[in-house]
Amino acid sequence: MSPTLAFLKRTLPLVAGLVPLAAQTPVGNPAEFSIKDQPYQRAEKCLPCHQRQYDELRSSVKSGYRAVSPLFNGLELAGNFLNGGLLRPVYKDSTRTTLANTPLNTNLVSSSTFTDITQVAAGFCIGCHNAHVILLGDDPSTREIPELPGVGVDFRPDLIRPLRDYHFVDASGRQILPDEIGGPAPSGAQPSLGAGGITCDVCHNVTGPDLDRSAQRDGLANASFELRPSLSKVGPFPFAAPVKDNFHVSSRDPDRIEYLRSSTFCGGCHDVRVPGGGSLTHGEANLNPGSENVTLYRLENLNTEWLSGPYNSSDNPFGKVIRCQDCHMSLYPWGGESTYQVGDLTITSPTPGVFPVNFAAEPSGSTDLDYPLQKRQVATHYLTGVDVPLLPTEKLRARLGADYQDVNEPGIDEHGVPRALAQRREDLLKSAVRLSLDKTDPRAQVGDSFMVRVTAVALTGHRFPSGFSQERTAYIELTVKDNNGFLLYQSGYVVDKPHPETGEMEPDGNLDDEDLEHVHVIVDPGRLTVPYEPGPANNGHTNQVFEVGPDNGPEARVFVGEPLGLVLWRNELARIFLPGQSVGRKDDRGNEVIASRPHFEETFSAGFANSVDNYRSLAPLRPTTYRYEVKLPKKKELELLGVELESPLHIHAQVNFLHFPPLFMRFLTRTTGPDGPAGHDMNLIDEKLMDDLLVNVKNIASSDRTVDLVK
Amino acid sequence: MTLAHKSLFAGRCFLALMMLGIGLGQQRGFSQVPRQENPNYPARNPFYFEGKIDYELLGIDEPSNAWEFMQRGIHLQDDREDYKGAIQDYRRALELNDMENGTCQIVTAVRENFNTLDPPPCIFTLRLRLGYLLIHDEPEESVRLFREVLEIDPLRLDVRFLIAEAYEFLAEETADKQEQTELYLKAIEELRGELALTPPVNDPKLSPDEANNAHTHWLLAEIHEKLDKYDEAIEAFENYLKATRWHSDVLPWRLQLAEKKIEELRGMANSQAIRAPVRSASPARARTRAPARTQ
Repeated sequence: MSPTLAFLKRTLPLVAGLVPLAAQTPVGNPAEFSIKDQPYQRAEKCLPCHQRQYDELRSSVKSGYRAVSPLFNGLELAGNFLNGGLLRPVYKDSTRTTLANTPLNTNLVSSSTFTDITQVAAGFCIGCHNAHVILLGDDPSTREIPELPGVGVDFRPDLIRPLRDYHFVDASGRQILPDEIGGPAPSGAQPSLGAGGITCDVCHNVTGPDLDRSAQRDGLANASFELRPSLSKVGPFPFAAPVKDNFHVSSRDPDRIEYLRSSTFCGGCHDVRVPGGGSLTHGEANLNPGSENVTLYRLENLNTEWLSGPYNSSDNPFGKVIRCQDCHMSLYPWGGESTYQVGDLTITSPTPGVFPVNFAAEPSGSTDLDYPLQKRQVATHYLTGVDVPLLPTEKLRARLGADYQDVNEPGIDEHGVPRALAQRREDLLKSAVRLSLDKTDPRAQVGDSFMVRVTAVALTGHRFPSGFSQERTAYIELTVKDNNGFLLYQSGYVVDKPHPETGEMEPDGNLDDEDLEHVHVIVDPGRLTVPYEPGPANNGHTNQVFEVGPDNGPEARVFVGEPLGLVLWRNELARIFLPGQSVGRKDDRGNEVIASRPHFEETFSAGFANSVDNYRSLAPLRPTTYRYEVKLPKKKELELLGVELESPLHIHAQVNFLHFPPLFMRFLTRTTGPDGPAGHDMNLIDEKLMDDLLVNVKNIASSDRTVDLVK
Repeated sequence: MTLAHKSLFAGRCFLALMMLGIGLGQQRGFSQVPRQENPNYPARNPFYFEGKIDYELLGIDEPSNAWEFMQRGIHLQDDREDYKGAIQDYRRALELNDMENGTCQIVTAVRENFNTLDPPPCIFTLRLRLGYLLIHDEPEESVRLFREVLEIDPLRLDVRFLIAEAYEFLAEETADKQEQTELYLKAIEELRGELALTPPVNDPKLSPDEANNAHTHWLLAEIHEKLDKYDEAIEAFENYLKATRWHSDVLPWRLQLAEKKIEELRGMANSQAIRAPVRSASPARARTRAPARTQ
């Protein structure tokens, strides 16, 4: 080998790793390529050469936990209860038909293009969570999740199993099921291929975006990528070393490599468009020929947020495009800090795009002819986000294998990254937002109002929170006290209380399972009815209780413009009840409330929503000031209280992150519980699980200020 | 019934669900298709996006329709504290989305061509925001706007509370005692209407709440107090305490104050003493809704 060639071989991968990708818009589907097929491999097969990546991915929620998550499984079941099982996949040999009475034998992942809404619905949730498993289902011998025997009016809610029931095999690799629907892991059960969720062979088998399955032909949402299980694995390096014994070959297709390294690749799943009637407030055309009638509404909007945001350009504090991988597959937030200006705010925060330098594979024995590997910038595979498992470690291990890591695993890895998922999540959250109270009125007067101004800025590449942002919740907790600690104002507070609907008859001393006080909602879980009929009348999803709470900031701020109450960064799903439709609760005379005009109401069910407000979350790198008009008690009121206020007033603002809204968890508890539409318990969520595992992350950012009090 | 027939039937049921429940989404074009290439600009379908979008994401150089004027108004009100500019934009938006001049309609039924409603639906956010900004200077206009909101959506919460606040403000401003009493009574009627929209479920297996709508009860108590209706005021303060039992309040000191007031009012009622009504509430104060046991 000439010295020049050797130099190039050594340096080009490094250079390629350093060059930031420009913002890209896919222009076409990938070209066909011919390479030997290879069945999807379990991650363990990759372990001998890629131990580091395996260990990292194994401790992420993307791999494994997602497939067995009680919340994911509960949500998927709830959608099926409502629409009659339409979210379960169909396969090549199905005898079902579409709305147009044509054969329905392709699903969200296997359809080459969508001509009917039922194709998008079939395998809708699992299509992203386990795309390869759904593709394998076309062959009955490799089918893990069966087609339901009946849907629509023939759906049997009492017989449907949670998806995670299908993720077990015995020692010989044959599928085994829990004895009871939703029961514990069978004795001797091992995790199936699907139990692994998104593992090595999903991402590294992608060939490019699939624009024909993407409503806006942008390669975003609903698994709109091409998956081809073959020997040719794509990685981030254009000149990867030859693999020992040709276990696989490394793709040198520059388009394929560029796609893997782009945010668009992540956007293949991290935008979600829900099939149904579309949004009643946000019409969006389906641009694919023949798909015009396949209407969707935007649920998760993460990648679109990134596309519209400052990190998809060089016009940001870092002067370059910051991709998803730069924060979620790098050393971020443990790779050093930067200080920069956003509006009036001077911000110090972790620097994105700092990658560890290491071997991409085990340095000895991974390459053909023991070709020497060089250290270079490599991606981490922790893919840390805002989630931690809502399952205890022993249950995770029973379903996912004995080596499944505890979320509080001690220590740090060789790059200084905490091994504990819970810690990684907390560190990431603490990098996400900053607060300032600097614009608050400098003085206040007894009996009068003064304005507290909290300026918040998200430092994320998307809005904050993002993803399933209609349930992911961050909010401002604000208190105003006098110098003696007398509490004058509070927002973003919770109160310990009973929850009789799920069996908690007395306050239990736990505040992490309490909802914020802007609205009081109890969602109808539905009930078992024979015969089954789709829709909300028997299957719930409407609000049984829906009342304005004392901290009603979200509605008051958005619709009325009042500078009052809770600042809630949670996007909002809404149901627009049309004239003549029941809203699902009774009036003061006990009569069913029927909408006489279009009635907009927050809903906590994505399957029941027909409008979404994805602008409640905090915009990235855009300082936003929230006002709180705080009225102080009058002298007479203070006299009656026997209180004398002392200057100065102390204002404290902090951002807290909620794991999931407890009311949403309680809805899933009830709808998958013994009194829900299945008529028996699916063993997914209960009060104990919430008490044990629903841990919120408090004070991820804060600010304090004092204000002079004039008496 | 064959499997194919069953599937067809199921499919039709699903279609019916989609059309009736999930909502009439088969779009054959929108009545307006502005900036459709921008995913942050919601094309009306058939309803306007009610709410607020970060103004810079909309790509609006100069507003050209009611919704765009409303969005700029929201931007001015919330982001710049330019209330005058916001009112101007909201008024312009209202001219372009007005029940009286026929540029908007109250939707009373799902008709053919529902997706392309013409004239478009009346926007409630616009009316609520303008009504709120005018509540001190033009309270009658605020009441008119809030009533239009109730025509658009009679089930919308908190609107009758806002109307009550406007009446309360009018009552505070007038020197005519009889007119003042009438305005207070109107406010009470609105507050009772608000309470009727969300009655407590009275089902201990579902909710421990014996009362809800704490701030409505608080305002009701204050108005009764001003009218020297001690028993009603006591009842309203008691309901306030019931409503805050499991929910506290943003002004937590009001919990203790309510107890003190009840004590004081009981004494007044018992002694039949005639006292001057306690003067207080400005709408802004009343809207600064109260607190309780902080967690």
